[in-house]
Amino acid sequence: MELQASYIQIVALALFTIGLAVTLTRRNVFFVLMGIELALNAVNLSLIGFAKTLPAAASVAGQILPLFTIAVAAAEACVGLAMIILIFKSQESVDIDNYSNMKG
Amino acid sequence: MIPLWLIPLFPLVGTIVLAIIALSSSDSKQGPAESITGAVAVLFPILSFLSVVTLSVGMPVEGIRGTIGTWIDTAAIQVNIGFLFDGLSRVMLLFITGIGSLIAIYSVGYMHKDRSFARFFAYINLFLFSMTILVLGDSLLLTFLGWEGVGLCSYLLIGFWHTDLKNTKAGNKAFIVNRVGDVGFLLGMLCLVSIGGSALLSYDALNAWLLNALSLGSISNAMPLLSLAGLLFFFGCTGKSAQIPLLTWLPDAMAGPTPVSALIHAATMVTSGVYLLARLSNLFVLIPAVLNIVLFVGLLTAFWAAIAGLFQNGIKKVLAYSTISQLGYMFMAAGVAAFDVSIFHVFTHAFFKAALFLGAGAVIHSLTGEQDMRRMGGLLKKMPLTSLVMIFGFLAIIGFPGFAGFWSKDLILERLYVSGPMGPYVYAIALLTAVITAVYMGRLIIMTFFGKYRGSKENEAHIHEAPATMLIPMLILSVGSAFAGFLWAGLIPGADFFREMLAPVVGAAQAYAELGHTAAHLSPWIFAGLGTLAALIGIAIAWFLFMRPVPEAKGGSEPQGFGASWTFAFDKLHEWIGVIPTKVIAWFLDVVLNNIILAAQWLIGGIIEILGDGVRAFQVRKVRLQAAFSLIGMALITILVLIYGGLL
Amino acid sequence: MLALIYFIILGVIAVGSALCVLLSRHPLYGALSLVVSMVSLAGIYGLLGSPFVGVVQIMVYAGAIMMLLTFVIMVLNGARDSKTPMFDKVSLFVFPAILVLAALLAFALISTPLAFNAETLRGSVALTSETLFNTSVEGPGYFLLFEVIGLLLLSAMIAAVLLAKKNLGFKETEEITEVH
Repeated sequence: MELQASYIQIVALALFTIGLAVTLTRRNVFFVLMGIELALNAVNLSLIGFAKTLPAAASVAGQILPLFTIAVAAAEACVGLAMIILIFKSQESVDIDNYSNMKG
Repeated sequence: MIPLWLIPLFPLVGTIVLAIIALSSSDSKQGPAESITGAVAVLFPILSFLSVVTLSVGMPVEGIRGTIGTWIDTAAIQVNIGFLFDGLSRVMLLFITGIGSLIAIYSVGYMHKDRSFARFFAYINLFLFSMTILVLGDSLLLTFLGWEGVGLCSYLLIGFWHTDLKNTKAGNKAFIVNRVGDVGFLLGMLCLVSIGGSALLSYDALNAWLLNALSLGSISNAMPLLSLAGLLFFFGCTGKSAQIPLLTWLPDAMAGPTPVSALIHAATMVTSGVYLLARLSNLFVLIPAVLNIVLFVGLLTAFWAAIAGLFQNGIKKVLAYSTISQLGYMFMAAGVAAFDVSIFHVFTHAFFKAALFLGAGAVIHSLTGEQDMRRMGGLLKKMPLTSLVMIFGFLAIIGFPGFAGFWSKDLILERLYVSGPMGPYVYAIALLTAVITAVYMGRLIIMTFFGKYRGSKENEAHIHEAPATMLIPMLILSVGSAFAGFLWAGLIPGADFFREMLAPVVGAAQAYAELGHTAAHLSPWIFAGLGTLAALIGIAIAWFLFMRPVPEAKGGSEPQGFGASWTFAFDKLHEWIGVIPTKVIAWFLDVVLNNIILAAQWLIGGIIEILGDGVRAFQVRKVRLQAAFSLIGMALITILVLIYGGLL
Repeated sequence: MLALIYFIILGVIAVGSALCVLLSRHPLYGALSLVVSMVSLAGIYGLLGSPFVGVVQIMVYAGAIMMLLTFVIMVLNGARDSKTPMFDKVSLFVFPAILVLAALLAFALISTPLAFNAETLRGSVALTSETLFNTSVEGPGYFLLFEVIGLLLLSAMIAAVLLAKKNLGFKETEEITEVH
């Protein structure tokens, strides 16, 4: 019984599904943000897992891409938190269903 | 030796400088200072003239060639920007820049106190630039550049006083009619390219190719395309040189300022068609059928325009029709392969037509814009110098012995007579046209300068001789119209300087054309005598017909009745051939096609709107729910992918 | 065998703490659970032969980003709202959708043959840096992407400063003018 490549993908899928669920079902804006982070992490895990199945030259990309994903996630968290602060100052609420100023 | 490109460079620099002056002063109310602007405007044409003179003095027989660089370098077409200065372009350039400079000097006086002073001279300089490019270019493509530039400038200058709708329309007409001819030029070039590649666009290469093909006997293969090319080039020439059928723009071009008319008629524009015929003489002598067409078009144009000149009341209109008629003479001469004679007539015509137009301009100027001859008369005593200039021009155009027009017209008539079996008949009609010329020009002189003054009292008070800037060019031109003809006086042995000058360019072609017919030579004195007789008869007829009180001027200066239907025959023709079909198509597009498209547009818009209204009901307000829907969409896509991948 | 055991331990921790995020009521608890999940993910990265990514994961994710998140949650004390329900009617619709999608993906994954490749390179610091900063002509060209990411982070920082400043900064300057 050895570690299989598809196990990693299953774990990644589980994490991704939970992240999506957190994002879409929770109404607290912090949970929405955390769900996105969780989903991004799951994608990273998936990338590294796939990298292990590739030959030498191609697998290097799997080591590099997560770094960029992490950087983008950092930027996203930075701007997202700033927006939360801004919206919280004007709305006095963290319930995203209240943020409906742009409702058509 | 100064470089060739200096000649077009000077007017170009002048254009740029004057355009900058015109633009920078566009906000001020008074406009730029006339003294400086006028000096700049005159300086550059004169500099160009001086460089032409300098080059002319030391020119070798075979001409000067200079290439600036590559213009177009593609797989299909290779063209250089090169200039060719030989006997033909020398003659053309001398009077283009010379008379152009004189007209520029004259315009300084004529355009005095016009708000758009600088703009006017920018256009004039651009006109001279285009014309020098046209004449100096060593390939058809460069000539075409100048050809288009001349068309553009005529549009700009004819519609110069653009606040009047009539002038703008005249400018548009000149431009559009010229475009029709330009299409002929373009297609002609395409014909040449399809015969022997883009190398044939160069004049030297074309002549060499024709000579080679002639000696090898392979010319007959290319004959149909060559004939077509010649016909198309001739069609282009009819546009620029106002021949049948594209002549309607020239009388309307009188809407522009008078110096512009002088410039268009004498120095630039209309002469370019004759120039092109002479430049392509080696091509045209190979296709006698096209030359016959040229001959008959010229004959018809000369006769028709001479008759039309009889009906005009506007002083400039008479001159316009006389120009068309004289151009007809030039085309007749080219039609019998006497290219040097036709260029000689261009040369003398430039002098006397410029003199006549500038004189007419002085008359109009002193009468504050009155152009109707029925409101003139008796100006001989009030404006003696202007009258003298006009009378010199008159004597030259009717071919009075000794004056410039006598020599050139005499040569044309002589060549027409000896041209072949049809010669005597053509000669007879041309001689009749000469009589009519004398009649309508005599009418102009009599109505303007003799009899009693018939105009308004206000205008009579300040009739005056023109200022010096206008008078001096007029006097120079009148001297030229008296003596320019002696450069090739057929009756005086040895006085054929002009023929020798053009011989290197058109001599070979003419020798080839004359191989066919050896006519019995009549004494040149007989032709001279008949020509003089025609002029005298014309003057006599004019004297008897028009030395009587002129009826009171009523209505506009347009001719009435039969005169109108004769004058506007070709306008009518254009109306039926060009304008009405275009209007029908435009109506079809505007009313029928446009409405169909509008209906289709409305229909599609309506359907989309109804559908949109229906679909809007499905819209969900909550963002999370929308995201869930998109997840379901993703799930569907995943199912599709799985099916496509064979997993499901 | 040992690797599988480690993987199962770490994977269970990661998924379990992710579930904690989903089910916790207060965002602070959620954030802390997320940190646990991320640290165990870093362990999985190390297990899979990518120690550098694992270290970056701990430093940037578990360290910087989650610290920032926790900080903001604490600053905005209003985050504790007991009025907002954890799940509502929308969630009832969303959950099945997510589960359907996950089931489909899982099916796709299981039916795809995947196997570890023995030749895979270990994602060491040396390899990562050499690949990332290979500026030779025939290199992969990641350095350009790296520059772009740097630019992105800079612009994100500026955007964050401008966004957050708009209301907070105004009050501060007001206070300062009162002091002076």
